[in-house]
Amino acid sequence: MTDPMTAKTASGWDRLLMMVTVVLLGALGTQSLLGTLYAWWAYRVDPLWERHAGYAAFIDTMNLIAAPLVVALVVVMGLCVPKRLVAKRTLVVLSAGMLVVGVLGGAATGSLAVGLAVYLALSALIQVAVVVLTVAGAGGLAYLSENRLAKVGSGLLHLGFILFALVIVALQRSPLMLPVFYASAIMLTGGSALSFYARESVRRMQPAGAPAVAEGNTTRPGDDV
Amino acid sequence: MFSATATAAALESTAATLATLGQMIVPVLLALAASTALAAIVPTLRRWLPTALGLLVGALALGEAAFVWFHLRLWQLCQVVDPATGQVTGSFAVPLWIESEKLYVWAFILAVIALVVRRQRAELQPALAVTAAALTIGALLWSRPFAEPLPSFLGGYQGYLAAWASGDPGAMMGAFQSMEGSRRFFYNTWYMWVHPPLLFISYGAFVASFAATVLMIMRRHSSYEQTAYRWARFGYLPLTFGMLIGFPWAIMAWQGESWWWSGKVNMSIMMWVLYTAYLHARLYLRHKGMWRVVAALAVLSFVALVLTYITTYVVPGAHSVV
Repeated sequence: MTDPMTAKTASGWDRLLMMVTVVLLGALGTQSLLGTLYAWWAYRVDPLWERHAGYAAFIDTMNLIAAPLVVALVVVMGLCVPKRLVAKRTLVVLSAGMLVVGVLGGAATGSLAVGLAVYLALSALIQVAVVVLTVAGAGGLAYLSENRLAKVGSGLLHLGFILFALVIVALQRSPLMLPVFYASAIMLTGGSALSFYARESVRRMQPAGAPAVAEGNTTRPGDDV
Repeated sequence: MFSATATAAALESTAATLATLGQMIVPVLLALAASTALAAIVPTLRRWLPTALGLLVGALALGEAAFVWFHLRLWQLCQVVDPATGQVTGSFAVPLWIESEKLYVWAFILAVIALVVRRQRAELQPALAVTAAALTIGALLWSRPFAEPLPSFLGGYQGYLAAWASGDPGAMMGAFQSMEGSRRFFYNTWYMWVHPPLLFISYGAFVASFAATVLMIMRRHSSYEQTAYRWARFGYLPLTFGMLIGFPWAIMAWQGESWWWSGKVNMSIMMWVLYTAYLHARLYLRHKGMWRVVAALAVLSFVALVLTYITTYVVPGAHSVV
């Protein structure tokens, strides 16, 4: 997902990433709607549908459709936030490399879940690096805004999403499930809160005449849309 | 010493007292809801809207206080006793937002939001007030929380008391296991005290966001869009956290049950991803024509919210009341 800080000068690449993100989220939403309609129909045909093999096949199909969409979302995140740290081409190569490692991991073990887990774990490591570098104020970060809190929020919510996907894919029966899950929940919610509100609070604290902080909301009150 | 007969009589008396309180509160609430809707709809009565809304919130709070009393009585009365040992395993801390009380709480939260709304108050408050009034009337006439409180819980507990009174050891043990399971893994879980109210707060905020979005589409002015965004981001936080904390609880409580990809979970995911898409697309609002995409996503997200709520009553599954 793209970072709000760059909204004012969003390049074609940024815009493409944003549109891809929206399309992927829309696809997940459509899948959920179709899944509900199918379940509703299945219950009408057979009220004990959940006890038969058809239900297991439904769950498998839903997982099979959702998995590539979630992976694609994580790939877009991988291409988006760290682009403030490294060049676009390097990021594309890195993302492709991680995907290959995930595919190889899955092929070697014969398990799609292991392949997904490997890819998600690598993506989580990249996001951890992004958050740490953002907190440290790494010089390579090319954000328009100097509001580090909002940048950290953006990194945290992406990391939270990846960790939550990792919990679903790989940690449901692990003793690490609860700690990792709660970490992901706090990062997703806290990261969203920072992204939404940190910029605004900094803007309020700025003295009159100071350069405006770029914000996610790029309309001005009074603008006709 | 636990007595099933005495407990059943005390429960009946408590429910009767709530019904009596309801006979006084419900007509007042209905009258105030109708007055609020009227003041919101008729322009010449609009100046009375804040007063009517304030009175409606006050009356809803009074009703909620009656429910708090009722739930405290349930805590005192509804104990679960292990027939094997004769020991009390615990009481029921029934959450204040389940079954017939769900819609009432949502109406209450929305009425409070309508009362405190600041940005575009003159236009948003009537829309929110009408919705809150409609929900109040729906909650009182359809859910009937005073006349028929917690039908599923009370039905289950009365069944447990009947099994206990029968003296049949097998029936007593079966009823005990069922009630103790629902006490420990449903009614008394911290999750049930946190998850639903977080979602209701987010639903209330999304109603405000939707009303502002409709105003934006009608009047084509970005100040409404800003208001819609502010309410959406406010609602998104409790929605995200509220949905997420359901996950580990569902894994533990619904072990072996079919809950993943169930209708309600599906629709909740759809609602969340659509609000995520809306908030994300909005970052590029100043790009040419982008406001149409943002407006469409905002409307779709709200439609998903309504469908998510309805799904509980239409599609069977783990979350369902069908």
